[in-house]
Amino acid sequence: MQRRDFLQAFGSATVLAPLVVTGLLSPGPALAVSFNRAAFDARTAADALRLIGAAGAEASRDILLKAPEVAENGAAVPIEVVSSIPGTTRLSVLIDKNPLPLALQFNFAPEAAARFQAKLRMAESSRLRVVATAGGKHYTVFREVKVTVGGCGD
Amino acid sequence: MSEPIKIRATIKGSEGEVRVLMPHPMESGLRRDPSGQVLPAQYITSVILSLNGRPVVEGALGTAVSSNPLFAFQLLGVKAGDKVSVAWLDSKGQKGNAETSFSAA
Repeated sequence: MQRRDFLQAFGSATVLAPLVVTGLLSPGPALAVSFNRAAFDARTAADALRLIGAAGAEASRDILLKAPEVAENGAAVPIEVVSSIPGTTRLSVLIDKNPLPLALQFNFAPEAAARFQAKLRMAESSRLRVVATAGGKHYTVFREVKVTVGGCGD
Repeated sequence: MSEPIKIRATIKGSEGEVRVLMPHPMESGLRRDPSGQVLPAQYITSVILSLNGRPVVEGALGTAVSSNPLFAFQLLGVKAGDKVSVAWLDSKGQKGNAETSFSAA
């Protein structure tokens, strides 16, 4: 129930508002596209993909997803994502078998390369999926990652 | 969360690399304490990276991001002295921010 409350309190339109109001940040036109927070509450990768509008993403060889084949510690699995698709404005990462598959999304302004490194939690061995959004289209790549010790419930 | 954010901005050629470590438990709401009580969820939901005050990377995070999130980004066409800042907001309304300047590697 707590999660439900949280989602109502932080809808996609309002999630950044407190930072803007406090003057820490000024909104930039380049990043006006908001996130659909409800996608982070989806219980299956298929639902999350649908909610981020990427259900029909086409497979692409122009996205690099670097992740260990075997991750000993599911609590911090290092990944690197690089999109070579021109005009990539958003990268999203999903972990199919996590209780909540959508892990993160980044929007990139033209001053930022469409790439990042992060550390993720994986509950168990799973398919790891990246969706790149460019020019309103979605492209995807995936990798299987084996997890020795799950990193969600410990 | 009481520990300061670590932010490092280094210029490599014409690109600038930014590495950010944000101390935060990223409590997922799925864990229990030793007495079996569920630890309430509290995790960073939003991150904004700004270059000279203008947002350049905007992130939405879920519970699958590791505790003490560590991210690296690459910014284009930066020069020494350009300011880069990061700000986060969590699911309980807490926030943090930090700023640094690009320096040559």
